[in-house]
Amino acid sequence: MNQLRAELLKIRSTRTSIGLLVGLVALALLFTILTCTLSPTSQVLGEQNQISLLSFGSIAGVFAALAGIMLFTSEYRFGTIRPSVLFNPNRDSLFVSKITAGALSGLVFGVIGEGLVFSIGLIILKARSIPITMTGANMTELIVGAIIGTALWGALGVAVGAIVPNQVGAVISLLAWGFVAENLLFGFLPKIGRFLPVHASDSMMGPVQTHLLPGNVGTVVVVAWTVVLAGAGVVMLKRRDVN
Amino acid sequence: MNGSMTFRRNASSLNQMPTLQYESNRSDLPRRYVHHLVEEAVADYTRNVPASESEHVSFVVQSNSLSKRYGEVLAVDDLSFNIESGTITGFLGPNGAGKSTTLRMLLGLAKPTSGHATLFGKPYDQLETPALRVGAVLEATDFHPGRSGRDHLRMLSRAVGLPDARVDEVLSLVELQDAAKRRVKGYSLGMRQRLGLAAALLGDPDLLVLDEPANGLDPEGVRWLRDFLRDFASGGRTVLVSSHVLAEVAQTVDQVLIINHGRLVTESTLENLTARVGGAVRVRSSHLQQLAEALEREGILTTISDEALVAQGTTRERVGDIAFATGVPIYELVTEGSSLEEIFLDLTSEEARP
Repeated sequence: MNQLRAELLKIRSTRTSIGLLVGLVALALLFTILTCTLSPTSQVLGEQNQISLLSFGSIAGVFAALAGIMLFTSEYRFGTIRPSVLFNPNRDSLFVSKITAGALSGLVFGVIGEGLVFSIGLIILKARSIPITMTGANMTELIVGAIIGTALWGALGVAVGAIVPNQVGAVISLLAWGFVAENLLFGFLPKIGRFLPVHASDSMMGPVQTHLLPGNVGTVVVVAWTVVLAGAGVVMLKRRDVN
Repeated sequence: MNGSMTFRRNASSLNQMPTLQYESNRSDLPRRYVHHLVEEAVADYTRNVPASESEHVSFVVQSNSLSKRYGEVLAVDDLSFNIESGTITGFLGPNGAGKSTTLRMLLGLAKPTSGHATLFGKPYDQLETPALRVGAVLEATDFHPGRSGRDHLRMLSRAVGLPDARVDEVLSLVELQDAAKRRVKGYSLGMRQRLGLAAALLGDPDLLVLDEPANGLDPEGVRWLRDFLRDFASGGRTVLVSSHVLAEVAQTVDQVLIINHGRLVTESTLENLTARVGGAVRVRSSHLQQLAEALEREGILTTISDEALVAQGTTRERVGDIAFATGVPIYELVTEGSSLEEIFLDLTSEEARP
């Protein structure tokens, strides 16, 4: 618990997380306001369209993952990994605290990201007199799925940071995977691609696009990815010398 | 924790290095006074007895055949040494000698390829809350530049359950309280060194391990550090300080461990080191001739000049003992000889490669 408090303070005590949060808010507002205001009515009518539109809050997952990566890689970049390990030489405990802190910060990103997109999007659609055809169950799945998915991306980011401690390398790897590689795989091989972490976490929000896994299966798959990558991360942390 | 400490400061600004007076109520204070008397005996004893027997002597730091290989490079090669409590030990060697690697292995940051190291009888990571027993500063740059000095310390203190009040105490101790809320990127190198020291002191440790702490410090900073370490160790605590410049630590340390190419070159008190390589002791006395005769009876070569006697290849203690036994008053007793830097360079030169 002490180490978790230390990790949470690490997140709060630099401007990195605030910067990411500001970026998320700006992007969420920009996208939501522009798409909900300017999209033709035909593209915002119907349950499927509205779920897709209001699921943009899941972009918070990218910011949460970046924050998670920073939580680990900045320790190596600035050398604070040395005092961190000296003060807590139990690397299992250090890793668990970091990944928990990553998930908690992801939760905050998720609440803010999806909360903004959903609430502002809904307000604009209503202002345009567009009937809201999403059911209560759709809304709950969308909001809860986006928030939990973002929290898991916070944890995944920490795991990626532990595996690739070079900050630039880890960030580029994550973005290249999430925005390029996985989309290509999903495009060509959707039956395999839907089991990959980005698309599995998309499925947690409901039917935001075709070919996705059922929401509950998607949740299990993302948790499995988190466990596997966290396992790899903790092994790397324990094996690697702190120089 | 079994002791308390207070510091008196007389610096008035951040740019002025504070002068610290370290006091401790540690019960093992007298040990400090007998240390010099038993030092040689202990060193001889530990060199000549089996390991299992020598373990009965309580060493704060023990390195047993430590080796570390990075690919083709053998950074540390079968390095063994012991450090007793209450001493300041200089861990010396040229750049690349393996000092930092050794310190990282002692502190559990790097895994030895072979051998093992213990602090207070256990590997570092098996000590119960090691930060409360061992304080370490390995780099002057181990800070997130965007984090304030105080938050850096708070984050570490939280990891071991120390209150924020302790953070403020150590900030005052190193005279950084006025800069505590400033981000570290605005700190000078001296301030960063002091912040690192503050982090090491958070747990009120019994052992300080410092890797090149004087790097980049101006002469005033070096002096501050020297005084600080002396005050710290005067309460029976132990300091292991590495440096690649012998002169930097010569006025601070009780003993030196010199390594080169990862191997131990010598382990000695500074005085013995000086004497061993041709040092001498200069004595002023009202009875120089009588003292010279007494020394020569003990096989010590002497020369008398300028109202002083120079005894070759011996130590101050030996000359003092003989003078005392002879009943000769002594006004001055000074070690002379080769410069420490020359000795250091000789020991760590390529030709002297172990």
